[in-house]
Amino acid sequence: MIRFLLPALFAFLFILESLFVELIPAELFNSDRILAPHFLMAGILFLTAYLSPKHGIIYGLIFGFLFDVVYTEIIGIYLFVFPFIAYLFANMIRVLQTNILVVSILSLAGIALLEIGVYQLMLLIKITDLDFSTYVKIRLVPTLILNLAFIILAAYPFKKQFEKASDRLRND
Amino acid sequence: MPQFFLNKRLIMLLVSIIVLVALIGFSLREREELTWPEKFVKDSTSWVQSLVSRPANYIAGVVENLQDLQNTYQENKELKKRVDDMARLEAKVYSLEKENEELQEILDKQESLADYEPIQAVRIARSPERWNELIVINKGTANGVEKNMAVITAKGLIGKVKSTTPFSATVQLVSSIDPTNRISAILQAEEPLYGTIEGYDKKNELLLLKGLPYDAKVEKGQNVVTTGMGGIFPKDLPIGKVVKVVPDEFGLNQTAYIKPEANLYDVEHVMVVKKSMISVDLEESLKDSEGEEEGN
Repeated sequence: MIRFLLPALFAFLFILESLFVELIPAELFNSDRILAPHFLMAGILFLTAYLSPKHGIIYGLIFGFLFDVVYTEIIGIYLFVFPFIAYLFANMIRVLQTNILVVSILSLAGIALLEIGVYQLMLLIKITDLDFSTYVKIRLVPTLILNLAFIILAAYPFKKQFEKASDRLRND
Repeated sequence: MPQFFLNKRLIMLLVSIIVLVALIGFSLREREELTWPEKFVKDSTSWVQSLVSRPANYIAGVVENLQDLQNTYQENKELKKRVDDMARLEAKVYSLEKENEELQEILDKQESLADYEPIQAVRIARSPERWNELIVINKGTANGVEKNMAVITAKGLIGKVKSTTPFSATVQLVSSIDPTNRISAILQAEEPLYGTIEGYDKKNELLLLKGLPYDAKVEKGQNVVTTGMGGIFPKDLPIGKVVKVVPDEFGLNQTAYIKPEANLYDVEHVMVVKKSMISVDLEESLKDSEGEEEGN
C-alpha cells in the first residue's frame, strides 16, 4: 500500500490544481489578475530535493505528459519543462545545502522559471499576445504570490513525506 | 571540438528539444480526432476528476449558499420589483410566440437556424495553466457531443467543443485567443450589423467584434448574438453587450468591445448545443444521393 503513496499524492496535486481554479471565488478571477496554481511543480521540486533527482525527473515526465494531454491539449510543453526545471534544480541543490528555507526559495524560483518559460512558448505559438510588462503585472506577480503561499503551507509536510519515502527506499 | 559533441547531456538536451518541437507541431495542427492514447488518458482522468470534483463542488455550493443568505433581504426587494414586469413580458412573449408559429405555418417553414437540441452537462475540470482557457465536461461522443458544437450556459454563449472522447469533452472558452476561434455575429442595432468575434482582450476581459462598417452607429449596451451562418452555431445565442467602439488600425472598419453575457469563470452547468437544421439537411442530402446512386 505504502508504495502507492507518492503517486497518489501527486495525482491529488494534479487534480487539486484544477479544483483550485474551479472553486476559488469568481471575484478573485474576474478582477484584472490571473492566478495560475503550480502546485505540481512545487511538489516535483521538493521531491527532487528530498528523495532523489532521478525520482523528480521521472515524476516530472509522467505528470508533465498527463498535464499536457488533459489540460493543455498541446503535447510537449510541460512534458519538457517539468523535467528540465527539475534537472536544473537538482544541480542547484547539489551546490547548496538542503535546508528547508533554501529549498523553498529555490522552488519559487523554479516556478518563476516555469511561468516565464511557458509564457515565451505560448507567445511563440501565438496562444497569447500579452506584452511582457502587462504579463508581469497581471499574471507573473499574482501567480508567484499564490504559489509562495502554497509552498509555505506545504513545505513541511512535503519534506516529512519525502524524507520518509527516502528512508523506505534505503531500507528496501 | 569532439569532446563538446560527445557530451551526453548536451545531446540529450538537443534530442529532447527536437522531440518537443515535433510534438508541439503534431498537436497544434488541425486535428479531426485525438489519438487513442490521448482519449484513453483523458477518459480515465475525467472519471477520477468527476469523483473528486462533484463532492468538492457540492461543499463549495453549500458555503456559497450560506453567504447568499446574508443578502436575501435586499435581493428579495429587488426581485419583487422585477416580478411585476415579468407578468407583462410573459403575456407578450406568449402572444408573439403564437403569432410566430402561425406565420411560420402559413409560410410552411418548419425549421429555422435558431432550432437546437441542448445536451446538459456538468464541468468536471478546468485547465489550471490558464493560457488556453479550457474546461472538461462530463458528456462525450457516447451522449452525442461532437467537435465544434456550441456550448452555452443559461445566460449565453461560452465556447465550443474542442475535442471529444467517448465519455468527456473539452470545451474551449471564447476567451482563449485562437486564430481559428471565430464566431459570426450580429450586432442588434436599428439595422443589424454583421461582424466576427475575433480575439479577446485579456486585460479588460472583453471580446472583440471586428469588421463592422466604419460609418455604422453603434451604441453602448446593444446586444450581440450569433448569426447561425457560420454553419456551426445556431442562430440567436446571446454573446454579450457592447461596451465601447473604436476604429480599427486602418480606419476602414470599426471594432466593438463586447462584455460577455455569461460569466466565463463561474461555469458549472453547461449545455452543449446541437444544431437541428444542419443535421437534418445532411441526412436528407445523403439519402438523396444514395437514392440517385441506386437509381443509376
